[in-house]
Amino acid sequence: MLAGPVRQRHDQTEIRIAAGDVVDVLRTLHDDPAFRFEVLADVAGVDMGDSMQVVYHLWSETTPDWLRVIAVDLSRDDPRVPSATFLWKGAEWMEREAYDMFGIIFEGNRDLRRIYMPPDYTSFPLRKDFFLADDAARSPGQGVRHMEQVHPPADSEAPIRRARGR
Amino acid sequence: MNVVPRSAPRIPALWLLLFALGGLGTLVLLVLIVGILSGVIPAIVIWLGGVILANIAIVRFIVAATAILLFTIPTAFVIIFMELKVIAFMNLRIGPNRVGPWGALASVVHGLKVLSKEDFTPTGADPTVFTLAPVATFVGSVMAFMVLPFGPGLFGVDLNVGLLYFFAVGGLGVVGLLMAGWASFNKYSLLGGLRSAAQMVSYEIPLTLSVVGVIMLAGTLSLNGIVQAQSGSFLDWFVVRQPLAFLIFFIAATAEANRTPFDLTEADSEIVAGFATEYSGMRFGFFFFAEYVNVFLLSGLAVVLFFGGWTSPIPWPWPIHFALSPLESLIAILVLLIVVPVVASFLLAIPIWVIRTRLSFARAFAMGMLLFGPLATAAVLIYLVINLDALLGIIWFFAKAYVFVFTFVWMRATLPRVRIDQLMGLAWKWLLPASLVNLFITALAILVVHP
Amino acid sequence: MAVQSPSLDDPRVLVDTPAAIVDAIPPYAPRSEREAEFYALGDGQMLLNIGPHHPATHGVLRIVLKIEGERIVDLDPVLGYLHRGVEKLAENADYHHSIAYTDPLEYVSSLFNELAPVMAFERLLDLRVPRRAEYLRVLSCELLRVSSHILFMGFMALDMGGLTPILYSFIERDEMVDMLAALTGQRMLFNYMRIGGVNGDLNHEFLSRLGDWMSRAGRQAEAISTLLNENEIFVKRTRGLGAISRGQALNLGLTGPNLRACGVPFDVRRAHPYSVYPELDFDVVTADEGDTYARYLVRVEEIKQSIRIIDQVLHEMPDGPVMARIPRRITPPPGRAWAAIESPRGQYGCYAMSDGTDQPYRFRIHDPSFVNLQALVPILPGCLIADTMAVNASLDPIMGGVDK
Repeated sequence: MLAGPVRQRHDQTEIRIAAGDVVDVLRTLHDDPAFRFEVLADVAGVDMGDSMQVVYHLWSETTPDWLRVIAVDLSRDDPRVPSATFLWKGAEWMEREAYDMFGIIFEGNRDLRRIYMPPDYTSFPLRKDFFLADDAARSPGQGVRHMEQVHPPADSEAPIRRARGR
Repeated sequence: MNVVPRSAPRIPALWLLLFALGGLGTLVLLVLIVGILSGVIPAIVIWLGGVILANIAIVRFIVAATAILLFTIPTAFVIIFMELKVIAFMNLRIGPNRVGPWGALASVVHGLKVLSKEDFTPTGADPTVFTLAPVATFVGSVMAFMVLPFGPGLFGVDLNVGLLYFFAVGGLGVVGLLMAGWASFNKYSLLGGLRSAAQMVSYEIPLTLSVVGVIMLAGTLSLNGIVQAQSGSFLDWFVVRQPLAFLIFFIAATAEANRTPFDLTEADSEIVAGFATEYSGMRFGFFFFAEYVNVFLLSGLAVVLFFGGWTSPIPWPWPIHFALSPLESLIAILVLLIVVPVVASFLLAIPIWVIRTRLSFARAFAMGMLLFGPLATAAVLIYLVINLDALLGIIWFFAKAYVFVFTFVWMRATLPRVRIDQLMGLAWKWLLPASLVNLFITALAILVVHP
Repeated sequence: MAVQSPSLDDPRVLVDTPAAIVDAIPPYAPRSEREAEFYALGDGQMLLNIGPHHPATHGVLRIVLKIEGERIVDLDPVLGYLHRGVEKLAENADYHHSIAYTDPLEYVSSLFNELAPVMAFERLLDLRVPRRAEYLRVLSCELLRVSSHILFMGFMALDMGGLTPILYSFIERDEMVDMLAALTGQRMLFNYMRIGGVNGDLNHEFLSRLGDWMSRAGRQAEAISTLLNENEIFVKRTRGLGAISRGQALNLGLTGPNLRACGVPFDVRRAHPYSVYPELDFDVVTADEGDTYARYLVRVEEIKQSIRIIDQVLHEMPDGPVMARIPRRITPPPGRAWAAIESPRGQYGCYAMSDGTDQPYRFRIHDPSFVNLQALVPILPGCLIADTMAVNASLDPIMGGVDK
């Protein structure tokens, strides 16, 4: 079921799974008396440049480590992952946020609509091809650009920043 | 640079005013002389005097109504200032301190600000009802003032059903609030209006029932009569014989005046400002005024019903009466006016001169005269207060009423707000049975003591 | 060009559609199952829009209530009025710079906002922080926790119509922010935590103010809390209101005092210790009722525990440097790190990804009030309008943190 090596660093254990296994893995982690991961600490989306990830952080009193579950290799054009709301109702807004910021669709979330951005907003701001308007930082998209420009303009030399390493 | 030369020297504005007044005065004087000489003015005066004497009740009513209308304005200002300053002290703040001494004119400035603001009617509101609502509320409060006795002989009308009138007219205020809530076209306003209707109607019942005991003891509905029934020392006040009734009355009055902890109609943290959400300018000012007038009104009623109205807690034991014939008193007054200032100034000057040896006696005498002024004024005032019942009555009445006003302000600084269901529960489950029990006990006591 | 549906804030919407004036139904097709269900009005129901500019919504929270008379049938919190895109900004700033962006998130307790990212970055860098710096972090954070909880008491009273406690609270908070200004150099947005340590060591003014305050802190907090604890109206309005069961609280992802009030002793300082908390002696305060009053009491009790911690920290603080030696330009090796701390509102987390450059590749802030605020939706139906404010105040959300 694992889609990558288990890593342990500092106080965090990291496992990687495929998007299709999210339901089974989370349910096992939550319900199995050996694990009892009762607290969902965080749900976050990540844009890796060529794919998407959804990162769950879990806490259990059975282990001193935070458990990081990463659902990897979501397609960038149509990122879909099962919702965690069947276990933790509190994941609802965090998933809404990930949808709002990355466009990741959580199947099974009854309330998947934008949470921060206005209803008529069309782009997903935390994706790496969304450039900030300011040129203060050394952002890949130099110069002032329209906020809602999903793709870099044709004359831009700026590359999309992609995740290197892991 | 262009300098425009003045064709005529500038006349100071004061001089212009004086010229105009002088001219006007001359004209009026001429008209008066001609009128008196031709006998027109005496005829008018005699006719007017006859009319006034014939309709003395109406004239009295008009004068009283005017006086009360004028009286509401400083009352509201004083209570608003109290609310600003007293709550500030209770909050460990400084409060208003910019306009006037201790910021005392802050509420006047508030009033001016309210006057100068735009009277805004929101789209969708019913303009007629929207405009009339504050008037209805304000008129309700002011009309109730007419029967409140401020001192012996100082009341608008001494109705024999005064208390009934008071409650009936005081209940008019809720109509204004309901109108405001409905006409504003705003859900907060609507909720506030409906809350006020529910609250006022519920609390009207314990409020009215709680004073029935007092009515039975006094044997009259006239507020004047109720005060007279309590004359004597503070042991004759009805609060001593009706403590439970007073408690119920005070709680219900707090709710009736929409004061904390029962200020649900304008609960600022829930429904923004309730019925007043959409109001601005003087219309809002009217609501504001009506609220504070109501506070004074209910404080005054509490004083009249339970704390002996204008009567003093301990009767003045040494009445001062001078019985002199007119001629004797004229001579006495002349002597007093001529002799007393000189002698008193001299007497006051001697110690000053003795202590401050470097002063010439003339200067010490001048200082003595300066000292004498305020002392004499104080003495005359004290004499008037002691001998004029009305003045003394007013002072007692206001002193007592402002104790209650202070209590209302105090509660506002201290208590959080109750919830609407708790509010209703308190009225129907506790206050109403308690007032009925009180009524029963009072009736029983009257039967036993005076069969 | 795609035709955009008009936004909710467009004034033309109100003028054109009379129904929208009366019932604030959004002028576009429902975007989710839940939205469609919420905006379908039943018989005798109406929508009441509370906020974003409302005296008791702690900033810019907007809650659409579906009410039947005064009773709440359902509600829909609407966020985003204070969204600043801090995560995006931080991803375009270098590591030092992005800490400053997090300061104004939870503006009531900004030191905690700095601490979590700083700890995440330190884990990316495999950096060890000097012990004196750890103690200083704990000291300043616990001071701010006291200040935040005291402010909570005041705001809770204010939302329920009490005017006075908020001003008493602000006297205390003023003293504390002045004290922290002496330590950090800033009064509100301290920017005190640095990667590898803290910005400055103890100084005379801070210590003298702290000593002065510590001599009366317990009494003062007690005095403010008795204003409310012993107030019959306050207790009657909060006891039994908005009760959350243990399972429901875990399911909702509540953390912090809100979770502990439901009987779950989850405190990141104990559940997953960080910094020097394992060496300090304090209790995790819990209550069993899970109602509004319990949430209030847990916070009041936590003030005392924090004062205990401050006392121990002052006694046990070691000598030494307050900053590790780190280069000015930080380029952590590629990796991922998660750091969670116990902020006054619950578990405050930061998830940072590095790609080897000097800017974080992904910078995620997990704010406890954001999650806690969700609890409004299941617990409020059945309550009255006035309870919205009491429950909302007891969850203690800070909209700066919720909206990021």
